[in-house]
Amino acid sequence: MRDVLVNYIAFGAVVTMVACNKLVENPASTITATQFYKTQSDAVAAVDAVYTTLNSDPASDFPIYGRELNLMTDNASDNQNFSPSNTNPDVRAMSTITYVSSNGRILKNWQQHYYGINRANIAIDGVSAMAVTAFSSTGLQGRLVGEARFIRALLYFNLVRLFGPVPLILHNPSSVDITTLQVARAPRDSVYAQIIADLSFAVGALPGSYSGADVGRATSGAAHALLAKVYIYRRDWADASSELLKVLTAGTFAGATGTYGYGLFPNYGDAFAKASKNGIEHVFSVQFVTSGGETGATQWLSYSFTSFNTGTYPIDIPSDSSVSQIFSGGDTRKAVTFYTSVYNAATGGTVVFDNPYTPYLNKFVDYTVSPLNNQTTSGIDYPVIRYADVLLSYAEVLNELNGGPTADAYKAIDLVRERAHVADLTLGLSQSDFRDSVFLERRKEFVQEGQQWFDLVRQGVDVYLAAQHKIAAHAAAAAKDTLFPIPLTEIQLDPLLTQNAGW
Amino acid sequence: MKFEQRRVRLTVLTLLLAVLWAGHGQAQTKNVELTGRVVDEKTGDPLPGAVVHIKGTTHEVAADNNGAYRFLTGQRPPVVYVVSYVGYKTREIQVDNYEPAELKLTGGNAQLNDVVVVGYGTQRRSDVTGAVAGVSKTALSQPAASFDNLLQGAVSGVSVTQSSSQPGSTAGIRIRGGNSISFSNDPLYVIDGFIVYNNNTLVNSGATTGAGVNALATINPSDIESIEILKDASATAIYGSHGANGVVIITTRRGKKGTDEVNYSGYYGDQRAIRKLSLLNASQWASLVNDINVSDGVAKTYSDSAIRAFGAGSDWQSAGIRHAGVQNHELSISGGDEKSKYLVSGNYFDQHGLLFNSGYKRYSGRVNYERNVSDAFRINLNIFGSHSVENSLIGSAYGSVQQSNAWSTLLGSVPVVPIRTASGAFNDVNQYLTTPTNPLQDIEQTTNASNINRLLGNFSAEYKLLPGLALKASLGVDQLGTKQNLYEPSTTAAGYAVSGYGSVGSVNATSWLNENTVTWTPTFGDNFFNVLAGYTTQVSDDQEAVASAEKFPNDLTSFNDLSVASTPLLPSSGAHHSVINSFLGRVSYSFQHKYNVTISGRADGSSVLGANHKWGYFPSIGLSWNASQEDFFRDRLPLVSNLKLRVSAGQTGNSGVPPYSSLATLAPTNYYFGGTLVTGIAPTQIANPNLKWETTTQYDAGVDVGVFKNRVSFTFDAYYKKTTDLLLNVPLPAFSGYTSALENVGSVRNAGIEAGLNVDVVRARSFSWKTAAVWAANRNKILDLGPGVSYYYPSAPIGQQSPVIVQVGLPVGAFYGYSTDGLLTAADLAKGVPLLTGVPQQVGDQRYVALTGHTSVTTADKHYLGSSQPKFIWGWTNNFSWRGFDLSAVIQGSYGNKLFNQLEQQLEKPTLSLNASGALVNRWSVSNPFGVVPRATNSPVPQVIDRWIQDASYARLKNLTLGYTFSRGSAARIRAKQLRVYVSAQNWVTVTSYKGYNPEANFFDNDNTRAGIDYGIYPAARTILGGLTITF
Repeated sequence: MRDVLVNYIAFGAVVTMVACNKLVENPASTITATQFYKTQSDAVAAVDAVYTTLNSDPASDFPIYGRELNLMTDNASDNQNFSPSNTNPDVRAMSTITYVSSNGRILKNWQQHYYGINRANIAIDGVSAMAVTAFSSTGLQGRLVGEARFIRALLYFNLVRLFGPVPLILHNPSSVDITTLQVARAPRDSVYAQIIADLSFAVGALPGSYSGADVGRATSGAAHALLAKVYIYRRDWADASSELLKVLTAGTFAGATGTYGYGLFPNYGDAFAKASKNGIEHVFSVQFVTSGGETGATQWLSYSFTSFNTGTYPIDIPSDSSVSQIFSGGDTRKAVTFYTSVYNAATGGTVVFDNPYTPYLNKFVDYTVSPLNNQTTSGIDYPVIRYADVLLSYAEVLNELNGGPTADAYKAIDLVRERAHVADLTLGLSQSDFRDSVFLERRKEFVQEGQQWFDLVRQGVDVYLAAQHKIAAHAAAAAKDTLFPIPLTEIQLDPLLTQNAGW
Repeated sequence: MKFEQRRVRLTVLTLLLAVLWAGHGQAQTKNVELTGRVVDEKTGDPLPGAVVHIKGTTHEVAADNNGAYRFLTGQRPPVVYVVSYVGYKTREIQVDNYEPAELKLTGGNAQLNDVVVVGYGTQRRSDVTGAVAGVSKTALSQPAASFDNLLQGAVSGVSVTQSSSQPGSTAGIRIRGGNSISFSNDPLYVIDGFIVYNNNTLVNSGATTGAGVNALATINPSDIESIEILKDASATAIYGSHGANGVVIITTRRGKKGTDEVNYSGYYGDQRAIRKLSLLNASQWASLVNDINVSDGVAKTYSDSAIRAFGAGSDWQSAGIRHAGVQNHELSISGGDEKSKYLVSGNYFDQHGLLFNSGYKRYSGRVNYERNVSDAFRINLNIFGSHSVENSLIGSAYGSVQQSNAWSTLLGSVPVVPIRTASGAFNDVNQYLTTPTNPLQDIEQTTNASNINRLLGNFSAEYKLLPGLALKASLGVDQLGTKQNLYEPSTTAAGYAVSGYGSVGSVNATSWLNENTVTWTPTFGDNFFNVLAGYTTQVSDDQEAVASAEKFPNDLTSFNDLSVASTPLLPSSGAHHSVINSFLGRVSYSFQHKYNVTISGRADGSSVLGANHKWGYFPSIGLSWNASQEDFFRDRLPLVSNLKLRVSAGQTGNSGVPPYSSLATLAPTNYYFGGTLVTGIAPTQIANPNLKWETTTQYDAGVDVGVFKNRVSFTFDAYYKKTTDLLLNVPLPAFSGYTSALENVGSVRNAGIEAGLNVDVVRARSFSWKTAAVWAANRNKILDLGPGVSYYYPSAPIGQQSPVIVQVGLPVGAFYGYSTDGLLTAADLAKGVPLLTGVPQQVGDQRYVALTGHTSVTTADKHYLGSSQPKFIWGWTNNFSWRGFDLSAVIQGSYGNKLFNQLEQQLEKPTLSLNASGALVNRWSVSNPFGVVPRATNSPVPQVIDRWIQDASYARLKNLTLGYTFSRGSAARIRAKQLRVYVSAQNWVTVTSYKGYNPEANFFDNDNTRAGIDYGIYPAARTILGGLTITF
C-alpha cells in the first residue's frame, strides 16, 4: 500500500510540476512598447504611423482629410450644406451652425487631431532617443523626426485655428491615472511658438524631394509653405514673405529662391486627378490609393457621387446655387468643381442631376473607378497645400506688406486666374479691393479643400457673419462661432479646461 | 498490489482501448431475471441509485430513476437482498419468488439525503449552505439546439434571452443579473468537471458577418443528465476569479449498472414565423412618396390612377420567409456492470432557418467510460466530439457598431419593384438600389458559413488512499477548430462593386486543464467533515487567420480558391496565450446534519492581469441550519417535513479581459507612399500594470421549506451583490491621444429575491400532476463610474444617436431619449411650445417634450426612458401523467423589460427609396389631420423617442408536449423495453404587446451596455414536432 502512495505522490508531483505554468505574458501576435524603437525599420514604421492619422480613422470614421475636417471647414462655412438624405443630427448641425459643445463631429475632429499628435510625439521621442548607429544613412534620423514634427505642426495649426488655445501635449502619457493627464489650455502664442519651432526644425531636416516609394512624404518645401501660412495667420507678413520666397520657384518672382520646381498644372482638373498625383502643383497631399490593399483609408469626399439614381443625394452639397454662381462663364474651375450630369458606362446614357441641390460637388469624384459608384476605392489625394495656395498667399502677403498690391502681387494672382482661363485682375485696385479679390479667388480656387471657414474667420467676425447670413440655412451663425467649442466631454474629464466665450 | 501499480501506469491510450471491453462478461447461460423496485417505505417514492446486492454473491446493481432494479443471474429464489441507500438504514430483505419485489427502506428524508453536485465534488443536500438549484428533467427533455435554451424559465434567478432566432445563434444567460459593464456576464460552465469559459470570439475569426455563432451549440443537449446552477458566493467562491457570474455544472449521461441499453430518439418538426411586421404595400408606398414630394415642394411622382394600379405589389417580407424543417436523431448504447459503466452516443441535428440560406447542423459523438480498476482506484473518461455548420444571415460584422443585416435591407425593399421577373429569375432592375441587385438574391446567393469542430475530452483518476480520503487527478482538453467562409458573388449588393468578394478565416483554440484534488470526509461521532484541497492549472491558446480577396472572374471556386481573384486584400492573423494557476480549498462541517458551515476559498493567478495584480484571493463562508431536524420542531410542526435556513457571504471575481490588456501594445496601420502600401506601427493602449479582476461581494439568505412530506417544497433567497473595481474602459481626455484605458474603477449593485415552488399536486395510482414555478426579481444599478465620470454613451453607429446611456444611478442598459406628446398642431405653434432646435418644424411634426423650464428642446432634454432589464422573470412548469400519457407545459415570461425598437424607428422614417412601416398609413396630412404618425418629409432625422422604447414584457408557452408511453407488453412486441411517442410545440403562444418580431430581441447580444436594441433581428419561429424514443 505504501508503495502505491509513493507512486501516486510522485505521479502527482510530476503533473504539478508540468503544470507550473508561468503567469508572465509574452505576446506573440502583439508588439509591446519595450520591444520597439530599436531599428531603422522601427523608426520608419513609427513615423509612417503618424501619416496614417491623416487618411484613416481607427474606428473607420471619416479620416481627418477624408471629410472629417471638411465638416468643420467647409460644411460650417458658406460653401456647403449637409445632404438632404443625411440623417446625422451632428452633421446637420455643422451646416446649420447650430452645433453645440457635445457635437460628435467636433469631438471627433479634436480626437483625431490629438491622436495624430500623440503618434507624432511618440515617433519624435522614440526616434530621437535611438542611437545614430541604428540608421544606415546620415540625416535619415533627422528626416524622420522632421516628418513627424511637420505633421504635429500641421495638426496643431488646425487646432489652434479651430479652437483657439488648446492643450499643448508633446509627449506620450506614461500612466492611465487621469489626474496625471489633466492640463490647462496653452495660450495661442505658446501653441504657435511650438508650431514654428517644429516647422523650423523640419525645414532643415527634410529633403526637397523624394523618389520612388517615398514620394508623398513631407518635404522641406512643404514645411516652408506651411510655415508661411502660419506666419500669415500670425499677420507676420515679413516672415511669411521670406518663407514664401523659398517655395516660389526661382526666377518666377523677384527674390524667389525655390528649387522645388513647383508650378501650376496647365489643366486645373489635374490637381484632383489620380494620374497626376504628387505633381508639380502638389506641395503636400494626403495620399489615397485605389485598391491599395488597406481597408482603413477611405476618401469620403468622393461620395460626392453615390449613385445614378437621381432620387438619392451625395454626401455633401453646395450650400445653395450662389456658390456655383461666383464663377464666371469661362472659368474652367467651374466644371471641375461641380457636376450636373454623369455618363453611365453601363447604360451608355448620361444621367442628368437637376434638382434644387444641384450642381453637386465634383473635385473628389474618382471617374476611373468601375463601377463608378464604387467611390469607396477612390484614389484621389487630398491636397493640403497646393502651389496655387502659395501663389495666392504671396499675393495676399505682398498686398499687406506694401500697403497695396505690387506688380508681383498681381502676377501671383493672375497666374492662378490665367490657368483657369479667366482674365487678369483689373489693375490699380486699392489694398482693400485687392484683398477682397484675393479672398474671392481663394474661394473659387479651393471649394471643398478645407480653406473657406479659415479664410472667412481670419477676415474678422463681420465678414464671417455677413458671408454666413447670405445662406438661408446658415442664419444661426453668431459671433461665438468664429471659434468652435471645446468638446463637452473633454471639459468634463478635465476640469482645468475652460470653454470658449459664448459657448 | 502489483496489479494496482500497473494500473497507475495506465496510459490514456490503453484506456481508450479499454472502452472496447465494456459489456464484456455479461452473457451467461441459464440466467433468470429478478426485478423489483426500491422505494421509501413512508412515501412510496422510488429511490434512484439505491444499491441492491444479492447476499453471498458479487452481484450488485443500482436502481434506475424509477427505483427499478434488474438482475440477470444464475441465483434462484429465495435470495436475500442487501439494500442500501444514502441516508437510509441498510436492510436485508428476503424474496422467495420471481414476482417483481418492492424493497422498502426507512429512516431517510429523501430530499435531504440527496447528493448534490457542487464545485469539485458532491455534498449531501442536507449539508449544503449555498444557493444551489437543479434543472428539472422536464426542462432538460425539451427539444433544443443548444442547452442554454433549456434553462429558460427552469431555475429561479437565471435569465435566458434567446436574442436571435437564427439557428445556432447565441443566447444570453444571466444568473442574478449582470455584474460587469464592459466584460462578459456569462456564467462559468463546468462540463463533467472541465471548466469551459464560453467565449464566442473563439469561434469567430472575423471572416464572416452577421450575428455571433454560439460555441455552446456545439454541445449536444441530449447528452446532458443534469445541470446544477451555483448562485451564491458560498457555492461559487471555489471557482474564484471566474465565479462571479454564477456557475453552471453540467453532468453528462452515463451507463447504469446491470443493464445494456440501446436507445434511439428522434424528432422531426416544422417551423413557421410567429409574426410578420406590418409594412406598406405598393399603393400605400406610392402615396407616401407623393406626400414626401409635397413636403419637398416638387411635383408628385405618381398619379392617382398609377397608385391604384400598383395594388399590393411585392411582399418582400413574406417572400423571404419559408417553412423550415428541424430534425434530430440520437442513438446511444449504454450499460454497466459491477466495475464499469459506459455510454456511447451519436447525434445528428439539422435545423433549417426561417430565412433562406440559413440553418444549423450538428454531428456529434460521445464516449463516457468509468471503471473501478480496483476497490480503491477508479478511472473516468469522457470524450465528446462534434462538427457543426452554421449558415447565417449576412450582416454587420460580429460585434461591430455598424447596424445592418441583409434582413433589414430586404424589409426596406420598395414594394413597387417586382421580386422576380416573369421567367421566375430574380429581378435586379431596381432603381431604388445603388446596384443592379436584389436583396432576396443577396440572401440566397451569399455564402456565410462557420464550420466548427469541437473536441472536449477529460480523463480523471481517483484513488482512495484510506476510507474517506481520496486523491483525484484529471487532465482534459477542449479544442475548438473553426473555419469560416464568406463569398459575396458579383450579383449581390456587397459583391457587385468589387466583382465578387471572398474571405476565409480560421480559429484554433485549445484549452487544457489539469486538476489535482484531495478530498477527506472523516466522521467523528456526530461531526461530519468534508475537506477539499487542490491545485489546478489551465492554459488557453488560440490562433486565427483571415484572408480575403476580391474581383473574381467567375463564381466557380468562390472562397475555396482565393487565388482566382485578382485583387488580394491584406491578410491578418493573431495568436493569444493565457494561463490560470489556482489553489483551492473547502471545509464543510456538519454537526448531526443539523448545523452546517462551509468555508471555501480560491487563490487564482491569471496571466492576463497586470504585473502588480496577478494573484487574487476569493473567500466565502456559508451557514445553514436544518431546523426541522430539531426534536422540538418535529413535535410542534409535524406537517413541516423540512425547514432549512441558510446564510452566506463571500467574494468572487471576473477577470474576463483578453490577454495583453495590461500591456503597452502597438498595432500596425497603413499609409501609401509612391502609390504603394507602407506599414506604420503605433501604440494602441497605455500600459496598466495595476489591472486586476472585478470583485463581486455577495450576501445571500435563503430558506428551504418542505411540507406534507415534502410534497410541497419551497425555496426563497434574497441576495445583495456589489461588484467593485469594475473593468471599465475609462474615458480619457482625447487630448491624451487615447480615448479610453482599461482600468478598475466604479461599481455596480445587483440585489434581488428569488423563489421556487414545487408541488406534487396529485399522486394517484394512474394520474399524477406535478407543478413547479420559479420567480425572480433583480435590481441592477450603477453606483460609480470612476472619478469625473457620471455617464457615458456607448458608441453608436456613424450618423446615429446612441439610444442608451451608462449613467450612475441607472441600471446598465438604460434607454435615453426624448419624450414626445403627439404631433404639433397649429395651436401649439401659435402658443409657442418648445420646439426641437436645429430642425425646422411645422404642423404634423412630432411634438417633443422639453423638460421643465426649457423653452426649446435640445439634447439637454433627453432623459431616462426605461431599461432593458425586467422587473421580474418567471417560469411555470406543469407535468401530468395519466396511464401511459404524459403532458408537460413550460410557460415562461418576463415582465417590465423594454426594448428600443430601432427597426421600427428606421421603418417609420419616410424616404424616397426604402419601404416603410405600416404605421405610416395613419400619418398626419392635410387630408388626415387626426393621423398619429408625423407627416411625411424626406428622410427626417430619426430621434430616439419614447414611442420606440416599447414594453417587451411577455409570457410564452415555450413548450407543450403530449407523449404516450406504450405498456411494457406492447413494447416487448417489437422487442423494445420502452417506447414513447410524442408531439411537441415550441413557442406556440407568445403574449406580448411588443410590436417587433420577438420580445427577446437583442441585436448586440454580447454587449451589456447596448442591451435591448432590436434592429432587424432574425424572426422568431414557432415549431411543431413529433418524435419517438425507443429503448432496446
